[in-house]
Amino acid sequence: MELTILASLVVSTFFTALGAFSHTTKRAIGFLALQAASIGFVELVYCLLELITGLHMEALISFLAVFIEWFTSAAVSPLIIYWGMIKTENISEKPLVNNKKALASIVTLTVLWLIFGSLFSNLLPKRLDILPLTALMLLFSSFLIVYRKDPLKILVGLNMAENSLYPLIAESPISLVPFILGLMVFVNIVGVFVVMEAYREYGTILLSKWRVG
Amino acid sequence: MYSLLPLLSLVAPSFIGFLCLFTYPFKFLEAFFRRIEKLALLLGTSLTLLIVMTMVPYILSGEALETPIFSLKVDSTNMAGAVGIVLIFFLASLYNVEAERGGRLKPSMYNFFVLLFLTCMLGLLFSYDIFGIFLLVEMTIGVSIVLVVHNPTKISPEASFKYLIITAVSALFVLLGVLTTFISINSSSISAIMDNSEFFRENSRLAMFIVACFIVGLGADIGLVPFHGWVPDILPGSPPTVNGFFTAEPIAFILALYKLINPFYVIYPSQTIILLLFCIGLICVIFGVLSAFSQKDFLRMFAYLTIEEFGHMILPFGLFTSFGLTAGQFYLVNSSLMKAGLVLCLGSVLINTKTSDMDSLGGLIGKMDETAWSYIVCSLSIAGVPPLSGFYAKWLLYSAVYDFLSPLVGIVFSLLTVLFLICMSIVSLAVLVRSFHQIFLGQPARGLNDLKNVPWEMWLPTLIIAIITILLGIQPNALFNLIKQP
Repeated sequence: MELTILASLVVSTFFTALGAFSHTTKRAIGFLALQAASIGFVELVYCLLELITGLHMEALISFLAVFIEWFTSAAVSPLIIYWGMIKTENISEKPLVNNKKALASIVTLTVLWLIFGSLFSNLLPKRLDILPLTALMLLFSSFLIVYRKDPLKILVGLNMAENSLYPLIAESPISLVPFILGLMVFVNIVGVFVVMEAYREYGTILLSKWRVG
Repeated sequence: MYSLLPLLSLVAPSFIGFLCLFTYPFKFLEAFFRRIEKLALLLGTSLTLLIVMTMVPYILSGEALETPIFSLKVDSTNMAGAVGIVLIFFLASLYNVEAERGGRLKPSMYNFFVLLFLTCMLGLLFSYDIFGIFLLVEMTIGVSIVLVVHNPTKISPEASFKYLIITAVSALFVLLGVLTTFISINSSSISAIMDNSEFFRENSRLAMFIVACFIVGLGADIGLVPFHGWVPDILPGSPPTVNGFFTAEPIAFILALYKLINPFYVIYPSQTIILLLFCIGLICVIFGVLSAFSQKDFLRMFAYLTIEEFGHMILPFGLFTSFGLTAGQFYLVNSSLMKAGLVLCLGSVLINTKTSDMDSLGGLIGKMDETAWSYIVCSLSIAGVPPLSGFYAKWLLYSAVYDFLSPLVGIVFSLLTVLFLICMSIVSLAVLVRSFHQIFLGQPARGLNDLKNVPWEMWLPTLIIAIITILLGIQPNALFNLIKQP
């Protein structure tokens, strides 16, 4: 794996972990935007350099595809959730487990990943050497999904998890990129729509109060 | 054989769906559309039924219809499933004429999503492209969540959010499996997996990882234990008609799962995959039946029985034998049809009495006789009572399990397994008969004396399903001929 790619993955993993601990919805959305921006940044720069040096049609198409992909995950998706937050509320809720326990779990996961990741990386084909780091980011994102009671933060976690697959998605055929992005946006809109409807019914977006309501 | 029919069967419902959606922004078209909304949906589903039925003679003559440019293929492995899906959608849209009373979505939007749902189901069946399957899985999830939240009740947003999270996470696993496969073989065609068999034989752990991703991803979408959390909430949270449409979902998802993992099993025939699917199937059966037994709400009872049925459905496919595939397809189509019959009957009771609590119901057979008879026929069929089609489906299932197990673990253990499955079916029959007794027999409960029958548009689809199960019981070859392996 190239050093720049490794660096961008490490930075985005760091933002994912920060997102998992963020108190308010607004801050979690901010970390989502940062995570998405950093994970696709290296590829975007590569495509830009290729476009500048090559100046051919294929490079332009490839750059546009990567840019749209990057822009959708770093700006459009966070904005949809942000819009949902404006329409409902920006809450700071207590996670289902306290921060100390969550931190301990994250450290344990990282250690386990270091052990198993190094074991499995020998077994994986060269083309899939980013898979262990992707899996770690996926695990961090799952913290937001599992331990939070704020549905918008859960949506942020879902997006972070999807973004963690970005290095793999980048390998998919360009013709499929618009469909994958379209679906990503569609699922976010549906998610925000459901949260807004629930907010209208229960008067709160706190999941624990929905059942009582 | 090259044919545009598979593509046409996807284009027709989506085109009518888009036509419905076209009226959405125009206020002056709204009044007009309200008059034809139910008919437009019925037109979409009946047209699709017609197109799918025109493919049947080709499949019966042993041909396979392909639209290679979109990687679509219809053959004996998916034709019966397609017929089942379009039939369920047609009957549920007939039921929709009277049962749909409006909700959170405008009628044009509702029609669009229902028809898009049908397109996704058929696309999942016909597509032989791994990316196509992923996109359709994700779209199906999005559409079904919108359809659940359409219900104007208080519980539907919570149920749909739970559904969204579980299925969206599961879609990530499908995506992970799809991307890993694509990066490994540089092709998105399912047939290319077989062409790269050497690579997966060398990287058997990677093949197992991909299979695990598909099982977890699609297993959660189907509602298999331990990813079943959304099933008992979704059924009470959805409109009755949408529950009818949902009964077609397992046909598409289970056949898609089989389509994705079968090549890996052929390349690397690991017993772990069989054991995993077999155990999941058995756990679903046990958990579903036992949980259904204690339910007082008939929709929750039905939800748990649905989980039990998922277990029965997955068992024969998990054997990866030719007979297992045949038995699985027969069981899948028959069970989905029976579930559609049952859930539409329960929907009629809910709409008519405004309650799903079985303790506050009773004596409805005198008021809703067609619904009652359809309910008991479908119940007996799904439990495998002869001479109904369910008996034949269960017989095939037990034979496939016995044939597979007996050379491996001996006659005694195989017989015990089959006996255990029969016992589970008897328990599910008891649950269904008890629910029939509580809802339809005895003295009418207080407040239900002045109840009128539901309109014919609501009981006719259930009656048709009951007649189908009797006819298929007498002549199972009508369905079996569509499934026969080439």
